Amino acid sequence: MNNVLHVRAISHELPAFTALLQARGMVSRSLRNLCDADFLGRRAILIEAHIDQRTLMDHRAVLRTHLDAGGTLVFNGHLVYPIFDELAPYRVAAGRSVKDLIVERVHAHPVFDGVSCDDLSFRRGVAGFYGRGANPAPPGAVVLHRLQEDGSPLDWVWQRPAGGQILMHGGNTCWMYLDDASSAARIGPQLLDWIEAGAPALPGNQGE
Amino acid sequence: MRIAFVDGGTYYHHATFNDPALRRYFDDNIHAPALARADLAQVDCLYVASRQNPVDLIAARDAIADFLAAGKLVVALGESRADLWLDDVQWRPGEVNFWWWREPGADSGLRVGDAGHGLFERISLTDATWHRHGDLVTPPGAVSVVNTVDGQSVLYDDAASGPGRRIVTTLDPCYHHGSYFMPAASRFLHGFLPWLKDGAPARAASD
Repeated sequence: MNNVLHVRAISHELPAFTALLQARGMVSRSLRNLCDADFLGRRAILIEAHIDQRTLMDHRAVLRTHLDAGGTLVFNGHLVYPIFDELAPYRVAAGRSVKDLIVERVHAHPVFDGVSCDDLSFRRGVAGFYGRGANPAPPGAVVLHRLQEDGSPLDWVWQRPAGGQILMHGGNTCWMYLDDASSAARIGPQLLDWIEAGAPALPGNQGE
Repeated sequence: MRIAFVDGGTYYHHATFNDPALRRYFDDNIHAPALARADLAQVDCLYVASRQNPVDLIAARDAIADFLAAGKLVVALGESRADLWLDDVQWRPGEVNFWWWREPGADSGLRVGDAGHGLFERISLTDATWHRHGDLVTPPGAVSVVNTVDGQSVLYDDAASGPGRRIVTTLDPCYHHGSYFMPAASRFLHGFLPWLKDGAPARAASD
């Protein structure tokens, strides 16, 4: 079985990302074509922001098994269904003005090496593409990026006490910048590099 | 008007449907993969929310056709490829003009179609303006509510192409409103949904 599963959503499909996956021998499948067994035996599962979370609820048990077995899950989007027992639902930031949407880095991570927060805060001069709130970080999670104004933890990585790891991006799919002429374009390939390297935890945060 | 929200399970569908300011307009919620088998007897209007998986709607094509044959209303919001699951819809893709407003002297490319259409008692053209996802050919006998500058439509009201009524648009307000990311899309829904709930009157009262 192929080790990395990308679960496709049906809009914002990015041919450039699909090509990257194919080049690395990673599998990309539509959620409609997946059964429980397809989620097992993977070292990493990547979930797009526009995914049908309601259908993902049907696979809660195998997603838990994936994590229990030490797997990595990369989740994008506003978490609005209780797919993961330990995670709280999305909270939108209190403000919607430009200053409320500025992104700051809290902790470095290889996925975001060389990515400037300016390129996360603004896309062609418009703020808000990267995140407008957050899925709350569970205890023990390392926050990577937050909204400067209200501290919403946009991105975090969590060594789950029961096993496995979740890299959470509480906004639109973090590799959507792949074709942009900005440092944010590095996120997609660096994410896949990190997964191929075994998705190592940050030094000092190896969990249990 | 009893409105069923056809829900693709995404975060933006969840946020739109559950928005306390909008929840009152929907009488039912149908998960899109279940639409083909749903009992629609108590539903007057299918509100097919923006950005759905066309596969789910194609699978429900017969159910949707039967719904229209019963004289009911289908609202097909944008980016769900209505041309693949509704008869007589011609949609043409186009380059999305994401950042048009940042160019000096920019033009959205949208114009009022029929100024006397009932929807314009609830919204203005600016409430229907963010970016364009292609355009539509207005079927014969249908009313184009929002036109493009080159004579196509981005929202039309069609009671002519067969039984029932179709409101078809390229606009995707549920996606943006449910992402908290486009004030115009929120204003659109705050005007469109009460108009729909009131029976979607095709003509302005003063007309």
